[in-house]
Amino acid sequence: MLPIDRNSVRSELLKVITTLRDDWDYSGEITEQTGIFQDLGFESIDAVALGSAIEDHYNRSLPFAEFLMKANERNAKDVTIGELVTFVVDHLSRTGKKP
Amino acid sequence: MAGRVVIFGLDGATYSVLDDLARRGVMPNFARFVSEGARGLLNSTIPPLTPPAWTTLVTGRSPGAHGIFNFLQFESEDSPYLRIISSREIRCETIWSMVSRAGRRAGSFNFVAHSPAPKINGYVIPGWVPYRWVRAHSHPQGIIDRLKNEIGSFDLQTMAMNFQEEEKAVAGTQLHDYEPWIDLHIRREQQWFNCMKHLLVNDPCDLTGIVFDGVDKLQHLVWQFLDPAYEPANPSQDFLRTRERCWDYFRKIDGFLGETVQIVGDDGLVLIASDHGFTGTSEIVYMNTWLEQQGYLTWKGDAAVEHQDSQELGAAHPYHLTHLDMSRTRAYATSASSNGIHIPVKGIRGEHGIDPSDYEVFRDELRYALLNRCVDPATGEQLVTKVWTREEAFAGEMINFAPDFTVALRDHGFFSVLRSDTVLKPRSVVMGCHHPQGIILARGADVRRGAQIDPVSLLDVAPTILYALGLPIPRELEGRVLSELFTRSYVREAAPKLNGHTDHPVVNVENTEPFIDAEGEAQVLMRLRALGYIE
Repeated sequence: MLPIDRNSVRSELLKVITTLRDDWDYSGEITEQTGIFQDLGFESIDAVALGSAIEDHYNRSLPFAEFLMKANERNAKDVTIGELVTFVVDHLSRTGKKP
Repeated sequence: MAGRVVIFGLDGATYSVLDDLARRGVMPNFARFVSEGARGLLNSTIPPLTPPAWTTLVTGRSPGAHGIFNFLQFESEDSPYLRIISSREIRCETIWSMVSRAGRRAGSFNFVAHSPAPKINGYVIPGWVPYRWVRAHSHPQGIIDRLKNEIGSFDLQTMAMNFQEEEKAVAGTQLHDYEPWIDLHIRREQQWFNCMKHLLVNDPCDLTGIVFDGVDKLQHLVWQFLDPAYEPANPSQDFLRTRERCWDYFRKIDGFLGETVQIVGDDGLVLIASDHGFTGTSEIVYMNTWLEQQGYLTWKGDAAVEHQDSQELGAAHPYHLTHLDMSRTRAYATSASSNGIHIPVKGIRGEHGIDPSDYEVFRDELRYALLNRCVDPATGEQLVTKVWTREEAFAGEMINFAPDFTVALRDHGFFSVLRSDTVLKPRSVVMGCHHPQGIILARGADVRRGAQIDPVSLLDVAPTILYALGLPIPRELEGRVLSELFTRSYVREAAPKLNGHTDHPVVNVENTEPFIDAEGEAQVLMRLRALGYIE
């Protein structure tokens, strides 16, 4: 059973991202302020893969494309780990039924 | 058939190229395979496209059932947002899972929409994954480290998909870029083959499948060098040099085939299959521009002509969709490869679109227009030769994710979805495009030698593989066992066993308790029962 409070989701998300370290040229600390594009050096397709990894981890479909599109629509320069945590907590908290 | 089965997948392979290369001595192992085995044409899906076609091959189900129509998919039945497909979007059981449930082992290499990897009894290294994610998205955990330790030349970065380079396959490239592009694919295929070969020898599975997708990528770009119909009477040195490099790629694939046949041995079965065939295209049809000219689509004022799609901040939403004025658009195409047209209906993917009560009448009108008014301005010839409604092409539970229309163009090409100043443009060079008929060949102890079978369907491959493995064929599979591939004595002694049902797609049941509903829980219990974990 995976808890869905903010601390737990952040911890799970960081676990997912740190599994990539062996194939990643990033050794800095990852915090809620870390941007996945500008700091971690994600390309577009990496963000898509991250969405799939989160869904797989929680075994839930999440509207990740909508999340990224809305970030684009408001001309955001990056998506931070903190924003991702908020997105995941919001959607996991809503209902146990798949969207 | 007592031995193992290997699916030797060649994405987009077609006889017009392979037979020519066999005749010229470029592919001697393929020539031998043909003489020692059975072959035929393999009818693809509508449209003949990699994700729906390979998914049909590995599920034995049509796209309306398995839910994969394209590389991009609406996020849900009522979402206007598109996402890149993942393994979660496959809504039917795969053959890897069926083999696992029967207590046997399966290995899958480089199949599309297999990421994150399903948890089967065996291993899955998915295709179409950026290199940083291959390790995390493969199964079982540690398989990539194991291969890295056991294969000296293992190079994950070369093996994984390089998406920036891949864009060239669709966008076209300059002549001097062809050779590095071909070399990249030779190196990549070698990596995939090394992995499969290592595990075939050291940790064999009952069923192993691999896809070499460079065949498709090369053919898109270098069709003029591969199709003998385009061979110039007096070829230049540049032409001959580039063609030789193309042939090097196919020599490499041929070598892999020879080694695979040798490893599998005479008591196993090697099945060569392609998801679709290939042909040449010499023109571009701008579908959204045609829809605009007919009054069905309106661009926002700032939409640039021929602007390439953007993927800012990782969004998979194509550029052109964000530049449509949806309040004045009644039909639009989302992506080039699917040849699909969507009709927005008010209240389904947002507030805009036609009234639901007008849908049937509007759809009939648009279908008529596509077949009669989408024409070559110079000759008046139809550009659209066939139009399928979603009910005709995609009947099934997943129909609401499918485009309202799928069209075939006169040269089998993909239409462009970009904004253009004209509906039809000639290409500067002939490019390769997908043909609805691919290839199937089989070789093994119980396969008829030198047999030519009538065209069959991708739906038939999964039941045929289960048959060859001596496993029961679930009743939901839509195809049939291709008994004509096998000797009469084998078929007489081993009748196909139609028995049982497919399972729901394998999901990671760990850590999921809070998120499954009652129905989901029942499915998990059924699955555990089927595996013998509970009674």
